[in-house]
Amino acid sequence: MADSVGFDDLATMLRAAAAKVVSEHATLSRLDSATGDGDHGTTMRRAMMVGLRAMDTCTSRDLAALLNDVGWAILGVDGGATGPLLGTFFIGMSEAAGGRQMLDAPALAEVFEGAVAAVRRQTKAQVGDKTMIDALVPAVEALRAAAKAGEGPRAALAKAAEAAARGAASTKDLRAKFGRARNLGDRSIGSPDPGATSVSLLFRGFADAIAAR
Amino acid sequence: MAMKKFINKPEDLVGELLEGYALAYADKIRLAGNRLVVRARRKAKGKVGVVTLGGSGHEPALSGFVGKGMLDISVPGEIFAAPGPPRCLEALKRAERGAGVLFIVLNHAGDVMAANLTMEMALKQGLNVKQILTHEDIAGGPRSKPENRRGLVGAVPVMKVAGAAAEAGYSLDACLAVAERLERQMATLAVAMTSATHPSTGQAIFTLPDDEMEIGMGQHGEAGTGRMKMKSADETAEAMLGQLLADLSVQAGEQLLVLLNGAGATTLMELFIVFRRMHQVCEARGIKIARARIAEFLTVQEMAGFQMFIARMDEELLKLWDAPCDTPYLVVR
Repeated sequence: MADSVGFDDLATMLRAAAAKVVSEHATLSRLDSATGDGDHGTTMRRAMMVGLRAMDTCTSRDLAALLNDVGWAILGVDGGATGPLLGTFFIGMSEAAGGRQMLDAPALAEVFEGAVAAVRRQTKAQVGDKTMIDALVPAVEALRAAAKAGEGPRAALAKAAEAAARGAASTKDLRAKFGRARNLGDRSIGSPDPGATSVSLLFRGFADAIAAR
Repeated sequence: MAMKKFINKPEDLVGELLEGYALAYADKIRLAGNRLVVRARRKAKGKVGVVTLGGSGHEPALSGFVGKGMLDISVPGEIFAAPGPPRCLEALKRAERGAGVLFIVLNHAGDVMAANLTMEMALKQGLNVKQILTHEDIAGGPRSKPENRRGLVGAVPVMKVAGAAAEAGYSLDACLAVAERLERQMATLAVAMTSATHPSTGQAIFTLPDDEMEIGMGQHGEAGTGRMKMKSADETAEAMLGQLLADLSVQAGEQLLVLLNGAGATTLMELFIVFRRMHQVCEARGIKIARARIAEFLTVQEMAGFQMFIARMDEELLKLWDAPCDTPYLVVR
C-alpha cells in the first residue's frame, strides 16, 4: 500500500534517521559546546547505536514492538536528559501505534502526536524555550495539517521535516529557559539548540527514507 | 590545544575509572550488576537503603561516598551525564533491605528526568522509595524558586546525614525528614577561574578570559551571573560568604557546617586562605562554624575554583554529621 507506512518502511525510516544523526554527530557536539558541555553529538550517536542494535535483535514484526524496543534501549543510555527524552519519544510512538501495522498519514500523525505527549510528560518546556520542543511540535503539527489536507505519508513527512528544520533554526535567536543552557541567560542567544537540531535531523531521516521508497 | 589527560580510549574511560576505583578500595566498595557501585558488605536487614545517581567526571563524587554510614549504592552515568532509568531501578531494588530506600537526586535536568522515570517505574512495581532533590546553588535563582537551583556539593552532607540516620535505624520517612531539613538549611555558591576539558570530547567546557573569574559557575561550566576581574582570596571569600549568609538569613548565635570543595585545580593552600577569611567574617558576626571540611568532594576535572557550602545545623544534624562512616572519601571514626 503506497500511501501507508508499514513495518519495513518504519524500519527504514528509523535506520535513515539514525544514520543522519550519526553522520552529523560532530556538528551536534560543536553546537552543544556553545551552550552546554559539548557532548550532545557523542550522546546522540550512542543513543542511535543502541537503537539500531535493538532493531537488529527485535524478533517481532509488530510496529509497536519495534518502537518499544528502540525506545527502551535508548531510555537506558547513560546520557543525561537525552535518554529519557528520546527514549520516551519512541515509547510514546509505540503506545500510540497500538496494534496498527499500516499507518496512513492521519495514523502517522497520531503516532507522532504520541511521541510529543510522551516527551511533554518529561519536560515542561514549551515552544520558544530553546529546546527540542521547538523542532518537535511544529514538525508534528505540519504532519497533522498535511494529513488533514489529504496528503500521503511522503508529502506529510517532507513537510514535517521542513517544519522541524525551521523550528531548529529558529532556536538560534532564542534565550534558553531549560537545561544547562538556561544558566547562560542572554549568552545562550546566537547558537541553535542542539536538541532541536537533533530532532530536525531525525525528521529529515524519516522523510528521506519515505521519499526514496 | 590538544587535551592533556591520562586516559586510554575516551569511550572506555568511565568503565576504566570504575574498575580502578573498585580495585583500589576493595575493602569498602565493589562493582555489581550493571556498573553499580555498592558497599563491600551489605547493610543490615531492616535498615533504610540510600541510593544516588549522577554523571561521572566529578570524582570522588558521587561513588566516593558509598560505604557504611553513607550511600549503599551509587549509579554512575557517563561523563557529566546521568545514567538511564533502568540502572537506577536496579539500584533501588538492590538497596532494599526491608525498610525502604531513599533516593538522593541532584537537581540537574538529566538527573531529574532519569530519576522521575525511575520513581514512576519503582512505584508501579510496588517498591517503597522516597526521593529527595538537592538544589542549594543560590546562583540559580531565589530561594522561592528551588527548581532553578542546581544541586552542588550539598548532596554530600545530605548523603552523610541520611546515611547516618539510616544506620541509626530511622524509618524511611524519618530519614527523608532529616535529609529534607538539612536540604532546606543549606546553600552553596561556586566560583570558577579556569575551564576544564571534557574528557570525552577533548573540548573546553567553557571559556573565561585569563584575568577573570565567575561566581555562580555550575559544575558543568554552566554560566553564573557574576563574571568579574580576579579578586583576592579575602575579597572572594567575603563576597561569596556574604551572599550565602544572606540567602539563609544566618543570625548571630547560630552554628554552621562549612565545606570548601576544591573544583579540581585549586590548591588546598588557596582553600585554607579562603577559609581563614570565612572564619574571621563569621566570628565578627557572632556566627559559629561548628564543623568544617576542606577537600575535594565533587570536582569538575581540572577546573580551577571551588564551591563554598554552608548549612545551618541543629543538634540532631550535628549528631548525624558526626556519626561514624567509612567510605573511600569520607571517614568519620
